[in-house]
Amino acid sequence: MRRYISTIIIISFIILGSSLSAIAGEKLLVAVAANFILPSGELTEMFRDRTGIATEATYASTGKLYGQIVKGAPYDVFFAADEKRPNLLEKQGLCDKPFVYARGQVVVWTANQALCGATDWQVVVKNPAVKKIAIANTESAPYGTAAMIALQRAGLWDTLAKKYVFPQSVAQAFQYAETKSAEVGFCAYSSALSDKGKAGCFYLVPESPPIVQAACILKRTKNRSAAEQFVAFIGSPEAQKIKEKYGYR
Amino acid sequence: MDMIPLWLSLKLAFVTTVVLVIVAAPLTYLLVYIRFAGKSFFEALLTLPMVLPPTVLGFYLLLVMTPQGNIGRFWEAVTGSPLIFTFTGIVVASLVYSLPFAIQPMKAAFEKIDRRLLESAYVLGLSPMATFFRVIIPNTLNGLAASAILVFIHTLGEFGVILMVGGSIPGETKVASIAIYEAVEALRYRDAAMMCLVLVPISYIFLLLINRLTRRQIYGA
Amino acid sequence: MELNISIKKTLPHFDLDVSFSCRKNRLLALVGPSGAGKTTLIRILAGLDRPDEGRITYNNEVWVDTDKKIFLPPQERHLGYVFQEYTLFPHLTVAGNVAISADDKEDVSSLLHRFGIWHLKDRKPDKISGGERQRCAICQAIARRPHLLLLDEPFSALDAITRQNLRDEVRKLKRELAIPVIHVTHDISEALYLGDDVLPMVNGRIVRKWMVQFMLKGRPPAQKRFTQDMFGDDSRYGSDLSVLYDSLEVMQ
Repeated sequence: MRRYISTIIIISFIILGSSLSAIAGEKLLVAVAANFILPSGELTEMFRDRTGIATEATYASTGKLYGQIVKGAPYDVFFAADEKRPNLLEKQGLCDKPFVYARGQVVVWTANQALCGATDWQVVVKNPAVKKIAIANTESAPYGTAAMIALQRAGLWDTLAKKYVFPQSVAQAFQYAETKSAEVGFCAYSSALSDKGKAGCFYLVPESPPIVQAACILKRTKNRSAAEQFVAFIGSPEAQKIKEKYGYR
Repeated sequence: MDMIPLWLSLKLAFVTTVVLVIVAAPLTYLLVYIRFAGKSFFEALLTLPMVLPPTVLGFYLLLVMTPQGNIGRFWEAVTGSPLIFTFTGIVVASLVYSLPFAIQPMKAAFEKIDRRLLESAYVLGLSPMATFFRVIIPNTLNGLAASAILVFIHTLGEFGVILMVGGSIPGETKVASIAIYEAVEALRYRDAAMMCLVLVPISYIFLLLINRLTRRQIYGA
Repeated sequence: MELNISIKKTLPHFDLDVSFSCRKNRLLALVGPSGAGKTTLIRILAGLDRPDEGRITYNNEVWVDTDKKIFLPPQERHLGYVFQEYTLFPHLTVAGNVAISADDKEDVSSLLHRFGIWHLKDRKPDKISGGERQRCAICQAIARRPHLLLLDEPFSALDAITRQNLRDEVRKLKRELAIPVIHVTHDISEALYLGDDVLPMVNGRIVRKWMVQFMLKGRPPAQKRFTQDMFGDDSRYGSDLSVLYDSLEVMQ
């Protein structure tokens, strides 16, 4: 019995110890908007090769991450998919001055070859064969908001109401379209350019506003120097090349 | 405050409860009274949804319910419409999610019945099916009620699974738990709080009901 | 109407091996110590257990034939079975319990009256006494107009006075019902009081010698006449009987 207890205590300490080191160590914790997942993976790897600093990223919709940060989540840097939320954080004194790190685009993507080759995205979404259109949550995901604005500008927002499906993030929107649960999805340009994305086809959506993605260093960070190095890296020419590879400007 | 998500949650819970109680009763009968090969594996399979994280369960359900998946394909072939992103779809998901919660109280109640009662019924000329409806069911009403209530409140609180296969369509699959989540994400805390304010008392009342019923079982009918 | 049984079954501590028959209007008392296999035998008769080998027939109906792989389920044997306890359905009233197997609903009220529990007809089993419950159980078993009545230690859980009253009821009943009745008991005096035939069972076998020994050692029946009623017209007992009479003569 005693041996069981001591084993449990030792194991608990090991678990606690490892998580403590994760918090206190040099590892960077970054909150990243879901659409930026692919370039972010490459960038953090390159950063680690350069500097030896490991980065751990959490991917979710901008709104969700914002909510977490406001409630005290211990991130070091926040990469949003809009400018609004970093600005809000700055106003609340929670982060430094935001800066633009990428410009994204929303596209209409489909895995269904029969829908490719149409004149433009509006023809596709109006097509009766398209029963479900995936749009990320329009309140908390900037790509969803952009999609909604595009549809409103095209005068289609209300007429197509029955077709919408609302995943929680733009990454999930791509997943719905990719598994053909939805015939089309409003996705991030970077998803369309990914390996999976190449299996389908996409249409640009000029009616949607460009997605100006801003970031900022959180004031409560314990790794300020590492955070500043990372931010500097993100602005570098090599990082720019990676971003462009994924459709960001 | 938008009442539709709350109404949807109640509707989902109600439909799931009715269907599940009807489905679980013969399944429980099978588990308790019939011996067959591989019974323990079958029983473990039925209990699986209880131990899997909801998002894992939701993921697998998503895979089989999409138009490519086995069940989704079958459904579309039979009914002509898709299963995923529909109210029927989340009912199916809820049935799987809450199945073990329907079976457990029923199983406990069925097992408590004295075998001699059943034997007496057989000798008196009642077939096994007649015995099920005229002896077992009337003597396990408390267990059946506990089952129904447990499934009801479990479904009211269902989130992860519905998130995966529901698509959050207003009026169709955007149930209260999803609406509350999205309200919090969008920083509409007041909306979230109002919906919670309605859900909490409902769940609490049902919990009280369960307590009453199970207490009566312990102290005798 | 005659019941014939000849079966064998391997049980944990001994083997059950019995053959006997029972005719209508006769009560066969199966008597023996606890664990002798009496209940197993009754359950096999009722179809709730299966023998390893053997045959059970009732008139021309074959209930069990292990060679021909015939097994008639309990529902189709048209039996009445009174357990020691728990025969009644807790969710039904006294009247409901009797009615559940009655073909003719009029039988229900006449039976309830006859056994003196009509005033309890709307009560549930947990609200009546043990003796009243067993009366109801007997009504329930008879309501079906069974072809055979089985009683498995039906009075063992009751007090002495109730037991005596119910024994008298059964004795009266035996004369009215034109069917075989098999009554299991561990009480010798009950067996002798009720039985037209008495079959002692020990360790799964019928042991007439055991009964004789007991009677010699213990309490022999009060009247010689009673003894003659018991064994008198059943010539199957043959030489054992003469030994018995002789011993009893010696005793008295």
